[in-house]
Amino acid sequence: MALLQLDNISVAYDQQYILKDFNLSLEKGQLLSLLGPSGCGKTTTLRLIAGFLDAKDGSFRFEGKDYTRTPINKRNFGLVFQSYALFPHLSVYENVAFGLRIRKVKDDEIRKRVMKMLEIVSLHGFEDRFPGALSGGQKQRVAIARALVIEPDLLLFDEPLSNLDANLRVNMRVEIRRIQQELGITTVYVSHDQEECFSISDKVAVMNKGVIEQLDHPSVIFKYPKTEFVGRFIGFNNFITFTERQADGDAVLLTVNGLPFRAKKVPGMSAGMKGAIRPDDLLAGTENEISEGPNVLDGTVKVSTYLGRSYQYIVETALGEFTVNKEMLSPFENGQRIRLLVPPEKLVLVD
Amino acid sequence: MQNKSYGLTLFTFLVYLFLLGPLILIAIASFEPSTVLKFPLTGFSLKWYKNVFEVGLFMSTFKTSVIVSLLGNFLALLLGVPAAYALSRGSFRGKNTLNAIFLSPVLIPGIVLGFTLLKFIIISLHIPIYAALLIGHTVIMLPFIIRVIGSSLSNFDFAIEEASLSLGSSRLATFFKVVLPNIRSGIIAAVLIAFLESFNNVDISIFMSGPGISTLPIQMLTYVQNYFDPTIAALSVMLMIFTAVIMFLIERLLGLSYFTKR
Amino acid sequence: MKKRYLYMLLMPGLLFLTLFMIFPLAATVGSTLFQNGQFTFSHYTQFLTDAYFLEILGTTLLVSFMTTIICVAIGFPVAYYISKLPPRGKSILLALAIFPLLTSSVVRSFSWMIVLGKNGLINNALMGIGLIQEPLSILYTPTAMIIGLVHLFLPLILITLVGVMENINHDLVEAAQSLGASRFSAFRKIVVPLSIPGLIIGSILVFVGSLTAYTTPALLGGKQRVISTFLYQNAITLNDWNAASAIATMMMIITFVVIAIMNKAAAKFNPKG
Repeated sequence: MALLQLDNISVAYDQQYILKDFNLSLEKGQLLSLLGPSGCGKTTTLRLIAGFLDAKDGSFRFEGKDYTRTPINKRNFGLVFQSYALFPHLSVYENVAFGLRIRKVKDDEIRKRVMKMLEIVSLHGFEDRFPGALSGGQKQRVAIARALVIEPDLLLFDEPLSNLDANLRVNMRVEIRRIQQELGITTVYVSHDQEECFSISDKVAVMNKGVIEQLDHPSVIFKYPKTEFVGRFIGFNNFITFTERQADGDAVLLTVNGLPFRAKKVPGMSAGMKGAIRPDDLLAGTENEISEGPNVLDGTVKVSTYLGRSYQYIVETALGEFTVNKEMLSPFENGQRIRLLVPPEKLVLVD
Repeated sequence: MQNKSYGLTLFTFLVYLFLLGPLILIAIASFEPSTVLKFPLTGFSLKWYKNVFEVGLFMSTFKTSVIVSLLGNFLALLLGVPAAYALSRGSFRGKNTLNAIFLSPVLIPGIVLGFTLLKFIIISLHIPIYAALLIGHTVIMLPFIIRVIGSSLSNFDFAIEEASLSLGSSRLATFFKVVLPNIRSGIIAAVLIAFLESFNNVDISIFMSGPGISTLPIQMLTYVQNYFDPTIAALSVMLMIFTAVIMFLIERLLGLSYFTKR
Repeated sequence: MKKRYLYMLLMPGLLFLTLFMIFPLAATVGSTLFQNGQFTFSHYTQFLTDAYFLEILGTTLLVSFMTTIICVAIGFPVAYYISKLPPRGKSILLALAIFPLLTSSVVRSFSWMIVLGKNGLINNALMGIGLIQEPLSILYTPTAMIIGLVHLFLPLILITLVGVMENINHDLVEAAQSLGASRFSAFRKIVVPLSIPGLIIGSILVFVGSLTAYTTPALLGGKQRVISTFLYQNAITLNDWNAASAIATMMMIITFVVIAIMNKAAAKFNPKG
């Protein structure tokens, strides 16, 4: 049985639905990410779980109990804010101790737990500092310690790393994953950063317009997006809309404008008519390098840019523009005729 | 968290009743037909509104008030705009001290300032009362002009000014053609705020009334200390409408947040 | 921009203030320390041993203190209520608080004469329902002064506090609640301590304002003098320039001492770091 269960939840602001008939469940000990662009409903979902928002319809069950109307302060969920929300008038020690003082824990017990938690987040020796004197990364650690010290039943992160610079972001997400696994604490993590979500999650839910488009292990989503939205969001920049589709053993035969394509069949494959492929997976070459045949497109180089490791070309073809990345010493020229090959095992069908 | 506390809502309502109730009462009282203010009203009449215009002293002091406020405003702008510009544009030694000096007239108790102005400008320097009144009002308007225009200037991107200079415009032309148009709403708001401050002033003006010279608030003060008829209520209503209009304009120009900042 | 130009722009205003504010104030303070060319504190010792003056000073301080306490006690919860309202409601209540603030103090004090006077609303109402036979004399007492001053300064502390409370990141309250704090304890442990600097600033404005207000005590205080009306009386009615100068100086000193103490306190309560 799932630890956390949202059933047909609806949330509305001013008659406008942000979530409608929303469902989500989560197993104990897992880290689930809600990923999506701003306005997709991920933060609303998190705030609903935290108890800041009331559901208009539907129910929220936690550990088998109905939590739909449980006030925030009775939920025992740890929450880490985007703004950190450290109490500026309290020292690091008192910030972390806050939840324990509310729970009337004895002073020596508080001392023990706070110090241990500061140890875990590598902030030993910072107890007497005030939030104003901490760096962004240190503030984030205090915020995490403060949420964890109450031994929450669920840990919630609201875009915790978006205020940090790039290097620190990578370090902190490793840190978050380490602490989460060390303590085996069930976690819901909200972010709009795909790489961040994929790197730390057991499960990722990609959201769009208040709906989960795909919920799966990150590696599955990365390879096999289910919908065009998910595909685009995770970097499948090229789409082909086919007109015919038929099964052929372990492959799918597709046609558009009389051009034949093959795609490898995978379990749970979408029945959609759209093919998606990443710029990195598309092969490009001269007419000598790639011979005519199925899965091949003729095109002209329109724009070329240098990405560092490879060159990126925008190629004009009979099926529209394609973006392709290719590592090469001397790049194609603008206007040069080239061929694109779509490897059948890299072509993913989406809704 | 929609469950508001009804106790606090009721309390807030009562506090606002306390704040606005007396002002509403003035409005009601102004329609009393008899010569003595009392409740409940004995009838309904607009004659006291007419009477306001028939009391010569109200009309003449109103004129003085408007002239002093407008002229003082003009002087305060002449002195204040360059100072506000220099204080927000440059960084130089003593800037904080100078800033504090320019804002200090609001910190000095008005009654003290009024008294010292009387003692030195009128008695020692023999400056005529009318001129002294103007000087006093300019002093109290200056900090408002500098504060409001200064905060307008602090939102102004001085790169625009540099762009104008780089295109060959002189400093003075740049100020009038580029800087001024961009802080126009701040200047208008500053003028309105300073005007209210000066128009309502009692503490300075009370020391600077002489034969035939007085401002409207001082005249009203003298009047209510001696008479108790609804004329003053009618006049108050007119002043409140006037205040509401100016407040509405300030809100349009600066937003209410101007007032909540400290 | 060349510094020379900057100083040139500042010069006219500075000269004006020096001539018409700083010099008169300095000369007033200076004049209180001399009698017949001799340095002396006698102007002050005279006052500070005069029972009548001490009574006035005491009344002034008491009235200002009471006004401040009442403004804080009323203003704090109401400001919190306003700061939590949705934008539209907040703007309306703020506007309704700012309006009296911008209205002439003569008008506002006069309104209380209507309410508190012998034939005023309160007396008429109380006699109407037979609760009292004789009209109460509330007007022309220190109580009337306090009521008028609270009315005068409550909007000031309200809008100051709303400004401060609006700036408290709402995430902090949510964080406290997620850590188990009830709405009330989140208010007590987060909002109250973070509002204290603003509360102190608001209190300075109210206290100093009450201490030096002229119109309200002049209209509502009757024969009861406070230092501002006493200063006026000495200067204009009695033409006692020395006395008036000494009173003016003392008012300034008290004002600056209060501001200095409160500022220090505000700095102490400011969030660290």
